[in-house]
Amino acid sequence: MGILTVLWEKWVEFKRDFYKITLAAMIAPLMYILVFGMGVQTLSYGQSYLNFLIPGVVAMTTMNGSFNAIAQNLNVQRLYEKALDQVMISPTPLWQFVVGQIIGGSLRGIYAGGVILVLVLPIGTGLCFNGWSFLVMFLNGAVFATMGVVVSFYAKSHTDVPRFSNYVIMPMAYLCNTFFSADSMPHGLREIVGYLPLSQASSMIRRIANREAFSHGGILILFAYLAILMTMAFCFLYKKRNL
Amino acid sequence: MIELKNLTKKYNDFVAVNNLNLRIETGGFFGLLGPNGAGKSTTIGMLSTLYLPTAGEILIDGEALTRKNTSLKRRISVVTQEYSMRQDMTIEEIMEYQGRLYFVPSRERKKKTQELLEFCDLYDYRKRTVRKLSGGMKRKLMVCRALLTEPDILLLDEPTAGMDALARRQMWNLLKRLNHDRLTILLTTHYMEEAEILCDQVGLMDRGRLEEVNTPKAMIEQLGQYAVDWMAGEEMESSFFQTREEAIKFLSKASEEAALRSTTLEDVFLEKIGKHLENR
Repeated sequence: MGILTVLWEKWVEFKRDFYKITLAAMIAPLMYILVFGMGVQTLSYGQSYLNFLIPGVVAMTTMNGSFNAIAQNLNVQRLYEKALDQVMISPTPLWQFVVGQIIGGSLRGIYAGGVILVLVLPIGTGLCFNGWSFLVMFLNGAVFATMGVVVSFYAKSHTDVPRFSNYVIMPMAYLCNTFFSADSMPHGLREIVGYLPLSQASSMIRRIANREAFSHGGILILFAYLAILMTMAFCFLYKKRNL
Repeated sequence: MIELKNLTKKYNDFVAVNNLNLRIETGGFFGLLGPNGAGKSTTIGMLSTLYLPTAGEILIDGEALTRKNTSLKRRISVVTQEYSMRQDMTIEEIMEYQGRLYFVPSRERKKKTQELLEFCDLYDYRKRTVRKLSGGMKRKLMVCRALLTEPDILLLDEPTAGMDALARRQMWNLLKRLNHDRLTILLTTHYMEEAEILCDQVGLMDRGRLEEVNTPKAMIEQLGQYAVDWMAGEEMESSFFQTREEAIKFLSKASEEAALRSTTLEDVFLEKIGKHLENR
C-alpha cells in the first residue's frame, strides 16, 4: 500500500515533467551513439562498434535514469523542502517508502533505456532485446535507484549529490563495459571494474543482445549490491537519531 | 493521553531537552512556551519520531511511541515549523499524497479535502503549486493536510507564524472547535496571546527544562491580576498586584507615564523566563 503511494507520487512527477525527463534521457546517449557509433565507424571484437556500443549505452542510460530520478529529488525533499519529514512522520512503513522509491527509480531507468532502444530501432542493428534484457535493466536500475536513496539520505548538503555523481557515477559510465570492454584494462583494475554493477549489467545486456549465453552470476552480484544498499537505507531510516 | 517520561535529547554535549516529564490528558489543549532554543521544537520532533530520544520514553495511552509503531503514528498529525511540502505539487496533490500516506480511503479523502479546502478558502487555488502560494496560504494548507487524516492528537509547532491577523483568528476558531470535539492538541508558539486564549494548560520551558506547568489563569493569578506599566528613566517597568486597589494606589504614586491594565500570559513569561534571559 505504501509502495503504491510512492509510485503514485513518482507518476505525478513523471506526468508533469514528461518532456523534460524524456529529453534528458535522450540527449547524451544519442550523442554517444551518433558520434562514437555512427560518426567514428570502426570495428570492435570483429563486429560493428555500434553494435558493441548500443547495449553499453542502454545500461548506462538505465543507470543514469534511475540514479538521477531519485538522488537529487529526494535530497531536495530532505534538506531543502523538508517534505520528507511528513513521510517519516506518517504511518507509511519506512521500508515500503524505500521499496517504492527503488521500484519507481527502476521504472524511470527502464523508461530511459527504452527510449534509446526505440531511437536505435530504425538503424536495424540486428541486436536482440528480450525479457532478460529488461530484467537486467530493471535490476541495474534498482541498484542505482537504491544508491540514489542512500546518497540522498547521507548527503549533508545539496552539493553532495552532484559531487557523488562526479566521483562515482560518471567514472562508472565511462569505464564499466560501456564504451570498451573492461577486459582490456590492466590487471587489478580490470577485476575491480569487472565487479562493479554497471559492468555486470552492460556485459549481460550485450551478451543477450548478441544472442550469447550470459552468466547468471551477474544477476546475483546485482542482487548483492541491492541488498547492501537497501540495508544502508533501512539503517538510516530506523536507526538514525535525527532524521 | 500523552505521557513524556524523563525525556532527554542531547546533541553531542548540548542538552536540548533535559529530563522532561509531562502529561497531557485526552482532549487537552497544551501550550509549550519558551524562548528560542528552549527545546520546544525538539520535543515536537521527538513526539513526531523525527528525533529519537537520548533517554526516556513517550507513551500514548500507555503504548510506547516508536518509528515502527505505525498504528500510533496513524493517530498523530503534525504541523511542523517549516513548510515541509513539495514545492512542485499542487494543493490538490499535497492533500492526496497526505491521504495516501495515512491510508485514508479514496472517497473519504476527496470529500474531506473539499471540505477542508473550502473551510480554509483554498479550494479555488487547488490547482496552484505550493511554490506559488503565500506564506499564510502555505500555513493553512499544512493545517488542512494535518486534519485530513482525522487525528486523535495534533502537534502544532508555531502554526500561525507568518499569518495575518484575520487568518490567525480563523485558525484559533478552528483549533478551538477541534479541541471541543476532543482532539488533543500540543501547541508551541511565540504568541503568548494565542496560548492564553487557546490552551487549558501551558508549560514554560527554558534551556531544555520544563520550569512550570499550570493553567494560564493560575499563572496570571500567581503573578497578580493587575499590572501597572511605568517608566523608570528610559525603560518601561511593570509591577503586578493582586487587587485593583493596590494597583491604583501604586499608580497614584507613580509618574505621569503609567498605565493600569490586566496582567497577561506574556507578563508571566517575561517575569519568569525573560528575566533569566536578560541575566544570561
